[in-house]
Amino acid sequence: MPKRIALTDSVKIDTTDLSDFARQVQFTSSDAQVDVSGFNPTGVNEYLSGPRTQSVTVDFYGSYGTGEVHQTLWPIYKARTTHAFAWRPDGSTAVGVNNPELRANVKIYDYGPGAQRGSEDSFQVTFMSADSAGFDWFTT
Amino acid sequence: MTRYTVTGPVAFGDWQPGEEFEADLDPELEARALERGSISKGKHTRKKEENGDAEADRAN
Repeated sequence: MPKRIALTDSVKIDTTDLSDFARQVQFTSSDAQVDVSGFNPTGVNEYLSGPRTQSVTVDFYGSYGTGEVHQTLWPIYKARTTHAFAWRPDGSTAVGVNNPELRANVKIYDYGPGAQRGSEDSFQVTFMSADSAGFDWFTT
Repeated sequence: MTRYTVTGPVAFGDWQPGEEFEADLDPELEARALERGSISKGKHTRKKEENGDAEADRAN
């Protein structure tokens, strides 16, 4: 896949396409680094990979209409519902090897829209992996 | 299979606003989507409509 300018990304929350209300997506997958160092001649630390934490943070524009951002996210957060998340680089092209889709069952632990006079209404939402399957990239 | 219509301003799954589709949605997903107005629910479709059981179909 060539270099790209992110313009046509697809962001779906609970099957609802919120792409037009999202302007940034950041996936993070991080393993705890567990120090298992013992005494040794070089003094260099030794590590093993520990628990993995995965999340996606999305910048949303605040929108409060039917089926839009707030009406999609607030009930999910309020009820502590596990729901589906999906993001792929090109929403106009089918999922494939060159257009993989990041998917997971996720939960929202923080929800905080806000507003500032004269500025666009936007806020971040972090979707945390909700089960042991975690986030993964799908090509079909 | 149940028939739905995308009633919200944005796509639902691979279906565009205004589009009708048939699917077996997870009941909880369906409830949330109906609640927020993303979709509306239509009649159940019958696999054996060709049998002429239109009366039972209308009851749905």
